[in-house]
Amino acid sequence: MNGWNEHVTAALLGTERRDPPVLPEAPDGGDADKAGRLLDQAALLAVARRAGRLPGRGAAEAIAPAPGEEAPVVPPAAAERLGRILRGEHVEVLPEWLDAAAAHGWRVPARLLPDLLERGRGDRMLRPSIGRAAGRRGVWLALRNTDWAYLVGAGGDPGGGAEVWETGTRNQRAAHLTALRRRDPAAAREALRETWAKEPAPDRAAFLATFRTGLSPDDEEFLESALEDRGKDVRQLAADLLARLPGSAYGERMAARARACLTPRRRTVRGREQTWIMVEPPAAHDEDLARDGVPFHPGGSFAPGGGGRPVGTRAAWLREILARTPLGTWTDLFGLPPMEIVCLPVAGAGASEGRSGRDEHDGDARDVHIGWARAALKQHDAEWARALLKGGVMVDEPGALADLLAVLPAGERDAAAAGLIRWVEGRSELPPILERVPGPWTGDLAAAVVGTLAASAGRPTRRDEHALTQLCRLAERRLDPSAASRLEDLLARRPPGEAARAVPRAVPALLTTLRFRAEMLKELAP
Amino acid sequence: MSGRWDRGRVAALAPDAAAAKAAGGVARPAKWGGTGCDGEAVWGECQGSGASAYRACADLAGPAFRCSCPSRKIPCKHVLGLLLLWSDGAVAGGPRPGWAAEWIEQRREREGKARERKAAGAAKARDPKTVERRERRVEDGLAELDQWLRDQVAHGLAQAEKAPYGLWDDAARRLVDAQAGALSGQVRALAAIPRQPGWPDRLLEEYALLRLLVRAYRRRGELPEGLRDTVRSRVGFTVAQDDVLGHGERVRDRWCVTGSRDTVQDQLTTRRVWLRGRESGRPALVLSFAAPGAVLDSSLAVGTEVDAELAFYPGARPLRALVAERHGPAVPATPGGTSVAGFLDDHAAAVASDPWLERWPATLERVRLARGEGGDLHVIDEAGDALPLRTADPWRLLAVSGGGPVTLAGEWTPEGLRPLTAWQADEGAVPL
Repeated sequence: MNGWNEHVTAALLGTERRDPPVLPEAPDGGDADKAGRLLDQAALLAVARRAGRLPGRGAAEAIAPAPGEEAPVVPPAAAERLGRILRGEHVEVLPEWLDAAAAHGWRVPARLLPDLLERGRGDRMLRPSIGRAAGRRGVWLALRNTDWAYLVGAGGDPGGGAEVWETGTRNQRAAHLTALRRRDPAAAREALRETWAKEPAPDRAAFLATFRTGLSPDDEEFLESALEDRGKDVRQLAADLLARLPGSAYGERMAARARACLTPRRRTVRGREQTWIMVEPPAAHDEDLARDGVPFHPGGSFAPGGGGRPVGTRAAWLREILARTPLGTWTDLFGLPPMEIVCLPVAGAGASEGRSGRDEHDGDARDVHIGWARAALKQHDAEWARALLKGGVMVDEPGALADLLAVLPAGERDAAAAGLIRWVEGRSELPPILERVPGPWTGDLAAAVVGTLAASAGRPTRRDEHALTQLCRLAERRLDPSAASRLEDLLARRPPGEAARAVPRAVPALLTTLRFRAEMLKELAP
Repeated sequence: MSGRWDRGRVAALAPDAAAAKAAGGVARPAKWGGTGCDGEAVWGECQGSGASAYRACADLAGPAFRCSCPSRKIPCKHVLGLLLLWSDGAVAGGPRPGWAAEWIEQRREREGKARERKAAGAAKARDPKTVERRERRVEDGLAELDQWLRDQVAHGLAQAEKAPYGLWDDAARRLVDAQAGALSGQVRALAAIPRQPGWPDRLLEEYALLRLLVRAYRRRGELPEGLRDTVRSRVGFTVAQDDVLGHGERVRDRWCVTGSRDTVQDQLTTRRVWLRGRESGRPALVLSFAAPGAVLDSSLAVGTEVDAELAFYPGARPLRALVAERHGPAVPATPGGTSVAGFLDDHAAAVASDPWLERWPATLERVRLARGEGGDLHVIDEAGDALPLRTADPWRLLAVSGGGPVTLAGEWTPEGLRPLTAWQADEGAVPL
């Protein structure tokens, strides 16, 4: 039955201008006028069109199936909770959920992938965690939506084979290089060397960053040549990588500069003879220093450096040089273990005994210790980190000390962090310091945090309440959830006078979140 | 009402995400005192931030909720938290305290009165004089609509593209006056068509089908009974629930809940729940309505199957139904489905008996997703037959299927298939 289009044309023009087409199949319309007849015939055709709909054949091509999954999907209770989190309930625990699931070898159920990938679109920090837990289905899905393209290659699995290096996105190629470096660093280096000159600067930086995996003296020559690169980020990255490389020519150059700045001298002060470290910051900046990754204005050189003055460029150069000098230089030079070296007194070399101002003296010591702390962090030197944390020499720089916690072996970290917290307890720096201590906070550290929380919940001032709110926000994500019951106990056992006052709102919220996390982790345990 | 609800069903009651989150915090035994439940209600007193405790109570039969807190959300976080506790088994059975018993009593009383009022209204509606008056008014209204339709076609539809909404609104308002409510909404919705691509075909289809309805109503005396009921309901005559339960066709089957979709029009939320009979293969539609702030019926959960007897509303192709009696608890199930060709045959038969059919449920077995030439999504079955999909957000369906076969339930409309639920081996039932 045809003629529909003629009816549409007639209807558009109007039956006043165009007679309705003739439709022999139509039953007799009786007394209908032209317009009525057109509508009656159109009704017949419309119903016939709807009822006579045929399936499309060959009009559409089936979508290629996703690769099979290796990881099993999380248990139903965990999946249900993830759904709640993605709908906004305690969304701050999402990274922990993802990491815990990935650590136990689970993956996210496919139905929740779109909501999860949408979260990652607005939150860069979340992306690596998503990549680990989304499974192959996640990558398959991301390949079909440009908004989610960040996931392709982000999970460490670039997908596909060796051709990814030729055809992939920057993320995919970097993931491919990282995987290759894990197996065969030399092959990865050669692959990169072939295309190096043709890559744009941001790609060169991304690929050079993969050298963190499997870094060895074999990479030195490549990195040295990258110090001459046109890209600023590439140069900086090469210098940072070289500074981590033991026994490199770069390390030697830095050590030579550093030895010119710090010299041991036997001195007798107030009747006590001992080795002093005499400090002479570099007098000038030169091309070679810049080439080795120390810019004229290193980051932080305008920051307040004590005594109301900024750190200044000379001190900042000194810090950078020390940060890039192999720490072995100092044990060799002083012939002492790190613990004793960090306790040595420090004095400005220019200052004679008489006019050494106290501020300047402290400033020199601070520069040296900060330089060493940065070096211990870069070179992952646990012994130096331990010495700086325990030596009590950097009390003014708890932030730098907190960074060192990451270098300690996992077993020591909690106790050292707990010591640090007790050291700064009650001061406003506490939240920014704890900010730098990665979770999960367990053992001694958890006890110290709980103690601090309970104590500041009892203090009345607004400033305390502000710090407490910040602390709770950190503890929400990082504190071991089993600490909730201890915190509740402490709050319940407050002295009567204190207990009469309401606990700041943040504390019950923290307890709720901790309980939520405890249930969540239980569901995700294998 | 028997048995505790599971967490999911309680969570579905939350009016928004904030309430759901807050409820999680309230759902702790330490916060509650004097909790208890019996077969019909749950109650308890929650220590809030103020001095006095909030009294929360849920009547499970409604369900209806009440709490003495100042929140305007229904149900509020206290009631939700209480129900969560109850769902976890942390609320023991016991006798109702005075305040809870009193409230439930009052509510039941009010409900009883409302029912009486309704019954009185229905009795009035059955009064032959009232019936006759209404029939006449509708007839006049439809004659006017017929004239309006013919005018549109006589002057040409081309003008519709630039016409103001008032053109359809006026016609719709006159239908309200004529007590043909169902038609009025339909006519008002036509205003959106000329703003869409391919509108001349759609508009002519709609006008032609309206004219068909007008003519069918005029000749209602000659129509077979089922078709006459269909025409009457399309025009806006309603059938009372009691009549459906009393005289409607009864079908007992294992009914699988294949999909649910909420739409909001004029502040009224309509929930369409689609069912499919395991033995009969027969589709059914259960409608529920809620004014703002009220709770929609959540007793039929998507992806479950329940042994029940349905009572169908009368019609040429009975589709809308009420759950008359349940014979067992709901259990998770995957519905049986058809091929694309099988579905289209079924649909053709349905349109043949009810030409005004706007949507018809599809349950397709072992279908995969496919892309057409323009990149638009289709479903394709094992025989290679494809149907276009009509959805703005295909991502969940895509993720769940992973390019593999799924059982897909949805609503078929002339514009394509709107997916509602997918069943996949690993994922189970997934509402889309």
